Order: sequence, then C-alpha cells, then structure tokens
Amino acid sequence: MNYSQKWYDKPISKIILVTISLTWMFPYIGFLLSSFREPDAVKRVAWWNSLFSGELMNELTMSNYSEILFAENLSRSFFNSFAVVIPSTIIPITIAAFAAYAFAFIDFRGKELAFLFVIAMMIVPLQMSLIPLVSLMNRGAILFGITVIPELKITGTFVSVWFAHTGFGLPLATFLLRDFMMGLPKSVIESAKIDGASHLTTFYRLALPLSIAGIAAFATFQFLWVYNDFLVANVFLGINPRNQVITSHVAQLTVGNYGEAWHLRTAGAVISMIVPLIVFFSLQRFFIRGLIGGAVKG
Amino acid sequence: MKKSIIGLLLILSMLAVACGNSLEGQEVIYFGAPATDGPDGQAIQATFRDFTEETGIIVTYVGSENFESELLAQIEAGNPPNIALWPQPGTVRAQARAGNIIPLEDVGVDLDEYRSNFSSYLVGLGEVDGVPYGGAQAVNLKSIVWYQPAEFEKRGYAVPETWDEMIALADQIVAEGMTPFCFGMYSNGATGWLATDWMEDIMLRTGNGVDSYDAWVNHEIPFNDPIVKTAATYLSQIMHTDGYVVGGTDAIVSTFFGNAQDPMFERDSNGNPGCFMHRQASFIPGFWPEEAKAGLGTETTFFAFPQMDVVSDTVLGAGDMWAVLVNDEATQAVVDFMLSEDYWTGVAENWSGSSSTRITAHTGFDTSKYWSPVVAQQAEFLKAALQANVFRFDGSDNMPTEVGSGSFWVEMTELATQGPGYIDTALDNIEKSWP
Amino acid sequence: MSVLSDNNKLLATGLRIIAFALFPLLWFLFQAILFREISKAIPRSLLIFLAIAVGSTFIFLLYIGMNKIISYAPKQYQEGLYGAMFVGPAIFLLGLFLFYPAIRTIYLSFRDKYGDFSVGFENYIWAFSNDLMKITIRNQFIWLLGVVSLVILIGLIVAYISDKLQKGEAFFKSVIFMPMAISGVGSSAIFKFIYEYRPPPLTQIGFLNGLRVTGGQDIDGNDCKNNVIENGNKIGYTGEGCTEPIGWLQQRDLTKFKAFENVSEVDTLQSFFSNLPLNTILLMIIMVWMYTGFAMIVFSAAIKAIPSEITEAGRIDGASEARIFLSVVMPYIKSTIVVVATYITVTVLKAYDIVFVTTRGDFETNLLAVKMMDEFSKFLHFGRASTVAILIFISVIPIIVLNALRNREDTKI
Repeated sequence: MNYSQKWYDKPISKIILVTISLTWMFPYIGFLLSSFREPDAVKRVAWWNSLFSGELMNELTMSNYSEILFAENLSRSFFNSFAVVIPSTIIPITIAAFAAYAFAFIDFRGKELAFLFVIAMMIVPLQMSLIPLVSLMNRGAILFGITVIPELKITGTFVSVWFAHTGFGLPLATFLLRDFMMGLPKSVIESAKIDGASHLTTFYRLALPLSIAGIAAFATFQFLWVYNDFLVANVFLGINPRNQVITSHVAQLTVGNYGEAWHLRTAGAVISMIVPLIVFFSLQRFFIRGLIGGAVKG
Repeated sequence: MKKSIIGLLLILSMLAVACGNSLEGQEVIYFGAPATDGPDGQAIQATFRDFTEETGIIVTYVGSENFESELLAQIEAGNPPNIALWPQPGTVRAQARAGNIIPLEDVGVDLDEYRSNFSSYLVGLGEVDGVPYGGAQAVNLKSIVWYQPAEFEKRGYAVPETWDEMIALADQIVAEGMTPFCFGMYSNGATGWLATDWMEDIMLRTGNGVDSYDAWVNHEIPFNDPIVKTAATYLSQIMHTDGYVVGGTDAIVSTFFGNAQDPMFERDSNGNPGCFMHRQASFIPGFWPEEAKAGLGTETTFFAFPQMDVVSDTVLGAGDMWAVLVNDEATQAVVDFMLSEDYWTGVAENWSGSSSTRITAHTGFDTSKYWSPVVAQQAEFLKAALQANVFRFDGSDNMPTEVGSGSFWVEMTELATQGPGYIDTALDNIEKSWP
Repeated sequence: MSVLSDNNKLLATGLRIIAFALFPLLWFLFQAILFREISKAIPRSLLIFLAIAVGSTFIFLLYIGMNKIISYAPKQYQEGLYGAMFVGPAIFLLGLFLFYPAIRTIYLSFRDKYGDFSVGFENYIWAFSNDLMKITIRNQFIWLLGVVSLVILIGLIVAYISDKLQKGEAFFKSVIFMPMAISGVGSSAIFKFIYEYRPPPLTQIGFLNGLRVTGGQDIDGNDCKNNVIENGNKIGYTGEGCTEPIGWLQQRDLTKFKAFENVSEVDTLQSFFSNLPLNTILLMIIMVWMYTGFAMIVFSAAIKAIPSEITEAGRIDGASEARIFLSVVMPYIKSTIVVVATYITVTVLKAYDIVFVTTRGDFETNLLAVKMMDEFSKFLHFGRASTVAILIFISVIPIIVLNALRNREDTKI
C-alpha cells in the first residue's frame, strides 16, 4: 500500500479544523478576559488593545468574581437549583426510556400514532403552555363538568417545577432514546424474550445497560437546559427569593447599574457556566458513543 | 411630623402586639420591573427598613426582567405578589378591568386624603370608572435638557430659553466644529420612546398647547393632524440636520439610551466635549459613568425644555404605579405606609447607598431630604407642577398599548432612520394602527 | 368459552385504561400531594435533600406497581398491556402538559383579544397581512434555512475530519461543544463583545466596530485608532476621514458598506446582496455557534459506527474522497441527519432568548416566538399570541411528515 498520505492528514483538513475551532473560541476569549478586568478598564480600552499593549496585566482583578460569589444567600440558591435540576432530569428520562423501549420492542395497537404524537408535542411552544400549566397545577382541571384533576395548589413547591420540566423535556427525550434503542441489536432482546424474561426484566437487565450511553447523553442535555432555565423556575416556584435558583440569582446580581455592568455580567456568566461544564466534561466519554447509536443501524 | 408618624406606627405595632402580635413576621412581597439589585430596587428595599423594625412585617422587594409574563403567571397560579409595581399607569387600568387587582378603598385607603396628597390628576391615572386602583409612587421629570454650565461659560454660550435660541446655539456649535446634541434612542424592546418623549414635549408647546396635547393623546384629533405633523417636523429638525447629533443620524437608533450622554463627559484632543445638550428624563443620572455621577448638580445640570409657539409652564413627566393583589392585614399596613410621606425618606436620604434618583409623587414630601441638590430641585419643580395642575403624564403611556408601546415607537424609529421625507407615512401608519 | 374471552377482553381494556390513564393520574396526584404536604411539614434545610430523594425515586414506584397489576391479566393480552404500561405515562403526561395547552391555543386563536368573543379568521388575516408579521415570517424562514443547514454542514465537517485525527479530537470537540453549556442569554452577552456599538468618541468595545474604526488616516494624516494610548496620547477615530462605527444589529441591509453604497435596483445580483438582512444574519450566527456542538457530537457517534472496512475498501478501490463520503458515509448517517434536522428545526422555531435580549425584534429582526410573547405579555392580545403559536406549530409539519416516513422505513426493516 503506498498511499502514504491519508486524506485526513493533508494540511487542508487540518487548516479547516483549526480555523473552525479558532472561530468558535474567539467569542469566549474577550468575554473571559473581560471578566477579570477592572470595571472601568473594560469600558475604556477594548480587550484586544489591552492584550496587545500588555496593559492587561495591570488591570487584572478578582473583584468582579468576589462581588458575586460573596453575595448573600448564594449557596441557598445553589441548593435550590439542585433540588430543581436532579429530579427534573431523572423523571423525564425514566418515563422516556420506558416509552422508547415500547416503541422499539413491543408491538401494540396505535404505536405509530403514539410516536407521531410524541414528535408533534416537541413543538408546543413552552411559553404558550406556561399559563395553562400553572393554572392546572393550582386549580386543577375540569373537563365537561367532571373534575379530572382536583385543586392541587402545588405551585410554589419544587414538585410543580419537576412536572413542568418533565412535560417540556419528555418529547425530545422519547424521540432521541427511541432512536437509540432502535439501534440496539434486536436479536439480544428477542432471545431474552424467548428465555421467558418479562419486559420489565428485559428492560432493566438488557435495554437499560445497553443504552446507558444514550441516556447519559440526554441527561446532559436535559441537565444543561434545566439548569440554565429560570423562566420556568420563576413561574412555577414563584418570585419569592427564598425559592430562587442560581441562574436567576446571578442574573439579578449582574444587573448592577442598569444595563452597563459589563464586569459583573461577564463574571456572572462565567460562574453560572461552571456547573454545566463540570457535568459536560464528566459525562463526555458517554457522548462519544452516545445518543445516537440508533441512527446508526443503517 | 416624622416623629408623630413613627409614634403612630409604634402605637399601631403595640396594638398589633396586644392583638396577639398577628403581623409580626408576616411577609409581604412587592414585585416590580426594576431589578432587585439595581439602584432603584435597592433603594425601594431599603426604605422599608424602619417600617419592618417597627411593625415586624417583612417587606421583600423583588424585581425581574420578565416582570410582565411572570406576573401574569403568578396571578394565574393563585399566588400573586401582595403588591405589584407597574412602570405605566395604563397597565394598572388594564389589570383592573381584567379583575386582577383590588380597589384601594377596599384596602382601607382614605381616598380624599390620598387625592389631596398626590393630586387628583395622578390618582385619576389609576382609576377605572371613577374607582381608584393604582397607588402613585414615583414621578420623573421629562421636560429638561442636561448640559454642563462650565463648558457653556467657557465658550460664551447662553442657556437657550426658546426653541429658536436652541437652534441658533446648535448652529453655532456646528459652525465651531463641534456637535450640539447627544441623542440615542436604542432601548431593548422599547426603542423609540425617546423620540415619543420629544414629540410630547413639543406637542405641549405647539398647536393649542395642552388642549391639543390632550386631544391628541385621547385621539380626539387624528394622529396625522397638521398639529402633530408640525411637531414631528420640529423633531426631525433635531434628528436630521447635518451635524446636530453625535455620530450622525444613523447613530440615533444604534445608540443605547443609557450610553447616549457619555460623549458629553468625554473630551477630544482639543478639550471639547462630544456633545453639549442632552434632552432626557430626571432618572438618567443613574446611567451616567461613576465619575460623572459625582458631578451631578455641579459639573452637569439641566435647563428647562425651551419655550415654543405656545408659551407654557406645563411639565411633562412619567411615573410608576403600584396596586394591591392580595388583601390582608399586613398588606394593608404596608399600603398605609406607602401612602405616607415617610415612605420615600429612605430613597431620598439614600439609605441603600445606591443613589436612586427617583422622586416621590407625594406632594407633602419635604424635598430638602433628597441626597442630591439636583434631585431636590427637580422634586420642587414637580411638586409645584402637580400642585398647580400643570403636570402632564407621558402621552404614549396613556395611548392604547398597540400605539403607545407599539406603532408609535416603531414608526418614530423608522422616522429617525428614513429622514424627514418619512413624516407623513409615519403618522399615517400610526393613525391606521389605532384600535 | 366465549363469555370467558369476552370477560378477558373487558378485563384487558380495563387494565389498559388503568395503565394509560388511571395509574399515571394517581401517580401524578399522589406525588403532587405528598410533596406538597412534605414541603409544609419539614424545615427548609432538610427539604432540599428530601426533594432530591423523593423526586428522583418516586417515579419508579409507578412502573413497579403497574407491572404488578399486569401480571394478573390473562397471558394473551399481556404484550399489549406492557405496551400501554411502558408508553402510557409518557402519553398521559404529554397529553396533560402539552396537548391540553395546545388545544386551548387553537381555540384561543379564533377568539378576540381577551378570548371573550369569537372573531373567526381575523387573527389569521392579521398574521399574514400585518407588515411586521410578514417580516417576522420572512425572518423565521431565513433562520430555518440558514441555521439548520449551517449547523448540519459545519457539524458534519468537524465530526468527519476530527474523527480521523490521531490526537486532539477531544480538544476540538470540546471547543465546539462548549457553547451548549451556556444559556441563550449568556451567549448573547458574549456576542455583545463582538457586535456592540457605542457613540463616538467612546471606545468601541465590540470587536467588529473596533476593527472598523482602526486603520486608515484622517484628512490631517493622523492614524485612526480605537482610543489607544500611545506615548501618553489618546488616539481616537473621530477625525474626518476615519471610518465611523455602525450599529451592527440595526443594519437591515448592507448599504452602509462601501461596496454597496451605490447599488441600483436594476443590478439584480448586486441589489440582492445589498438587501441581505445583516442584523438577522448576525443573530443567526449566535445560534449556529451555540448548536453546532450538538450536531457534531451526534454525527461523530454515527460516523464512528460505520464499519471501517467499508470505507477502507472504497479507498483501496481508488474511489475519490468525495465519492466515499457521498456514496458510503452519507447513506449510513442519513437517518442521523433527520434526527439532527428535527431537533434543530424545533429549536429554531422555539428560539426566543437570543432575539429577546439583543434587539427584541426591533429593526426587522423579529422571530415568531418573540412576537408571540410580545403579543401575549406586552399587548395582552391572547388571540393573536395564540395565532402566532399556531403558525409555529404549522411550520413543523413538514418535519413531522419526514419523521413519519422514516418511521415507516424503520418498521419495515
């Protein structure tokens, strides 16, 4: 074999890759640098000028970060965030995994219709369903004079946010996990059935471990989404600061002096990025195989 | 006066203790648009300090960027905040019609006293069918132009008292190679309000003055009436004359209104400021750079909007209004406090240190309490105007939202970019959009 | 015998109802009420931990309980019942949380401002005749076309090339993926350092304007610089002859640029370019920046799963790289592309925060989701807001059809 230089070793491929990466990194750089610069300096000298003239070294400060990190009750907001995010990730994934299994391996009437229903629900705009949902969780629902859901009055408690995020995350989760499970070797599942294993056993003995990569991948997406959200949290938990989640708290702190608190905005965004990045990097190995195997069956 | 009120409150709180201390530790949520940690939010929170100490009622102010949609959701969720603060009285009326808020009388407010303290004009802005729903809080002053006296003196400029003098001064500044006006109207989600403010100030001073202004706001004359067109032409003169505004006409819509004045505080290599005049409301110092804030009232101060065709002492302003959504004893006590003179003491004396420049609508408030002489001066101005009933509220806030926060803003933005040739189209479009 | 089977059928239907509706309903109510009572009874510090524990485990009771019930059913119905048990809760919750609001939205779209009176198709007529709405719909098309294709294209390129790298793959992927960890609001704040405009003579802290004002000389021969201090002197850009900064997000076309200053209407190609909505494109870039990571990760997994013998065989046969990509790789990942396209389409149609925090739809940059929220919470026009929501819904029908077709194919295999 004498095609010594493989196509992907050709400089052109690498140039493309490096160009794209640099383009992607560029926005962070100014942002990250600015979060460490003195408030006045950010407005007085553009970050790249400060970097090239070397003046940057004299402008570095941690005060933007300390101003936010030492704010009152920040840890309370952190705990609130976890109480919202963890169940809001686990509940939809569990329900979606069961549904995905059925879509992939169980024959039942109306399967195709049910699946289309799931896809269609992906597009219901979140903002539009907020009000009906809030009213549902507060006052219940009455259909044709029959009380389907009684008055619950759960708005303002964590459980209402879990339900809301479950509703919003469920369609995508089902859609992606079904795709993943379709890609699992059917023969393995079939043979389990022949051995007399029930669906529940097959599900948690075989399907679940085999698709753990896809589940981890979606868990990351859902985690990022719920963690970064504060509209849903504010609407369902109410505006009482006691219930505030971390992103909402940081957003409050960074408003500073009207629209001009660049130094706080940058530092605040960096702080709220930390948790998602930890989650991303710790689950990254799942991504590489993850999601998506499904689409791979060809 | 203050002592007697504190005394009264003490008695009240002792009564509360006697009644089993029912209000102690009760929480009252006060929800509004100004950010919790912004200067105004901090000032509002701080002003409840003594009240909480005396009554034990914990008042928590919460501000949110998504105020409107979150409030709608909270109402639907059945746990609305006790009190909400709207930036525009028109919204209070809409909410009252929707049945979401409680008339002030039901919260135990003495309406006669309320009217006499806050002027029946202001109270009327929060009324539906003669029933007051809205509590006036702060007002601001819009008919003013900010400038730096030292820069004027240095060049021998006189403060213009009429529109023609202002134009003559502007021409002179342009001829000397500088820029007369700072003008920036970009405002996320509300771009255009600065131009509508200009329009209102001009409308008050042209045509038939206040009469045609009121007719215009109430749509008794069409939006494309010749009087309105004249006003738009005056505004266009400022926006579109070559060299009048910083950065040229194109910059008007691109410049964030909170940055617009910054060129005034900058000096070029010849020591000239970026601009000399900035027509903007009394709350704008909150947006100034830190160094500039220190010079409020000394280095930078304001003159009254110049006189035009109709000589008028009418003052244009705006303000916010709160209303009650939950009627309980603690809320009633808070409402009582918010309508008293004492409510604003904390903001005026700058307890929070956040230098809010908000001015109370209470006409009995002692203006000497304000932390800054400029704010005190504006407060005097407003107080006199309210008492003499020559205060007019921002017209666009009193038009239907489709116009006041919709087509009026959009078309004024369009006018700024398209130039004077667009005036007729703009006014026709707004007229068409009136519901 | 037949009576028995009828009974069985009845039993099965009953059990199906239980699985599809009653059981999820009971679970929903039970968890709601249980937690509500817990919240009242338990001190706050404990509540957080209990919340995490209860919220994360309670859901499993639902399935264990249903499984128990199904085990009592006659054997021949169990398969169908399991289907109901596995899918039931998902369908139930979607019905309750999303379908019910959707129906209400359809209803409201035919009602007046506050939903009190029927107005027929008036809101729909408004949606297609109002000038601002027309522009909003146009923008939504541009976004769909631009964002979906760019995300897929760049994602595919990075995934395909980086997969074969000996080293550095993880690094490149992390760089592209990182924006996914940032909220839309955060991303828009980051891009302010690129698009920001400040009135002269202030320093331009946005990169694009920084570039624009730097370079060249004014008529006196002084360099134009972005307020840089050199030898104690501040060098600005306000001299006559220097390029002025522009508000990038306010530019609805390219006429502010020298190349397009004097384009006549007749010159079609040039006038097409001069009419490109610059601000909309700049906002789209933020979204492409955010979501390319998603596409890349998904494609990369799909490409990795292609047996390497197949592509190698193609190479040994001397097929060109483009040919291998098109005829070997593409068929393998076709279905993945549909998955990604579906997800990105849905995300673009729901895209809200980028426009909301940058221009909030001014200067002809509006999108349907933003318009919907404005009608809803700013103008309190529930009828129109609902109509816009329906338009969003309709826009996704093609993608649902695409998935339905794919679903058929899948089932055939």
